[in-house]
Amino acid sequence: MLTSPFSRRRFLQLSGISGTGLLLGGCSLPIFEGAVGRAFEPLNQRVEELLFNPQKPVPEFPLSAIEPDRLIINTFRSTPIIEPTDFRLIIRGEVEQPLSLSLQEIQQMPRTSMVIRHVCVEGWAAIVQWGGVRLSELIQRATPKANVRYVYFESADDYYESWDLRSCLHPQTLLAYQKNGQPLSIENGAPLRLAAPTKLGYKQSKWVTRITLVNQLLPQRGYWEDQGYEWFAGL
Amino acid sequence: MSSTGQPFHQALAAKIFHGVNLVSLLLMMTSGLQIYNANPVFGGREGLPIPGLFVLGGWLAGGRHWHFAAMWFFALNLLGYGVYILVTRRWRHRFFTGKDIKALQSSKNNKRRSYAWHRIVYTAIIPFLLLAILSGLGMYKPAQFPWIVEMFGDWQALRIVHFATVPIVLIFATLHSLLGLKVGGDRLINSMFQWR
Repeated sequence: MLTSPFSRRRFLQLSGISGTGLLLGGCSLPIFEGAVGRAFEPLNQRVEELLFNPQKPVPEFPLSAIEPDRLIINTFRSTPIIEPTDFRLIIRGEVEQPLSLSLQEIQQMPRTSMVIRHVCVEGWAAIVQWGGVRLSELIQRATPKANVRYVYFESADDYYESWDLRSCLHPQTLLAYQKNGQPLSIENGAPLRLAAPTKLGYKQSKWVTRITLVNQLLPQRGYWEDQGYEWFAGL
Repeated sequence: MSSTGQPFHQALAAKIFHGVNLVSLLLMMTSGLQIYNANPVFGGREGLPIPGLFVLGGWLAGGRHWHFAAMWFFALNLLGYGVYILVTRRWRHRFFTGKDIKALQSSKNNKRRSYAWHRIVYTAIIPFLLLAILSGLGMYKPAQFPWIVEMFGDWQALRIVHFATVPIVLIFATLHSLLGLKVGGDRLINSMFQWR
């Protein structure tokens, strides 16, 4: 019998020890996760931007595919109550024509309806119908300056988000006032919320009141992004 | 296959592919189970979470950071391995073949039968690794690859398949380790894990 420097017992001991170490380490590595994210998120974002085509619509579903019970309401703080008659949507920043629009003015613009899959970062998804106005039409109406690259969204509950301009101009990026054939409920973001098949749910701000076009990102990039979630969050 | 036969030899490339696969797979599984806990596949928010001992990342965003970093090592390593076995023509004699099935049906030699079982088990791991990548890509970029979600039926089916690759690969990897020990003993294990 050959003597091995590395006996079977030793192998099992070592694999047990290293395996336990890995698993034990697992629950207590909040130091590394940030570094890992900072190291790989730029690469992942480049790939996401390459995959994303701002002109290409995502295939939609028939109305019969809608899953009304699957859409879970996730709200970060509280539900703001907005008087529809007082509501104004402000579009400002690097634009030639800043806008302040009433709900009625927005609802008079061409309406787009889509049945898409809403995907939450938590892992669940729901097929939802959204009706509203294309964000690209609102942005074009405000006439953005040539240097605009990002768009900030501020909500009545102090939630904030930022998007890349290309994703905002996608034909299925809507400011929605309708869900599953009904007027949008307050819990789902009435009077106006973002809806898009191309971004994770946390990018789709509810109760949007202010849209600001900018040429670079601020240190604050979004409520969840500032806690460590991915910024591009493309689907 | 006796314990005093000629020493086993593994090509350095095979050792590297095997090692990177093992480590990246562990990272993928543990960070994936962290993501699972944000909304368990079975039962949603009321579902049973995976114990903290087996998860990596500390919280959902951390689990995602690990998962979408390790995916590159895991997937590119597997791709590299695929190219390697094609170029070196190892695919012709490293995976299980009709000969192994024949041995299982008619051989009286227990060693030959264990050997055949081992080849079946480690060969079978590979399609499950590919399935994990395919189903994972469908969940990561469903708007870019809607046909993947379509292939599996719906979102929940896709989630179940992606999750199921974890216990399946764990079972096959355990059988692979045990059968590897049985047919090749320490020397086979050493040949795969020792640097020289």
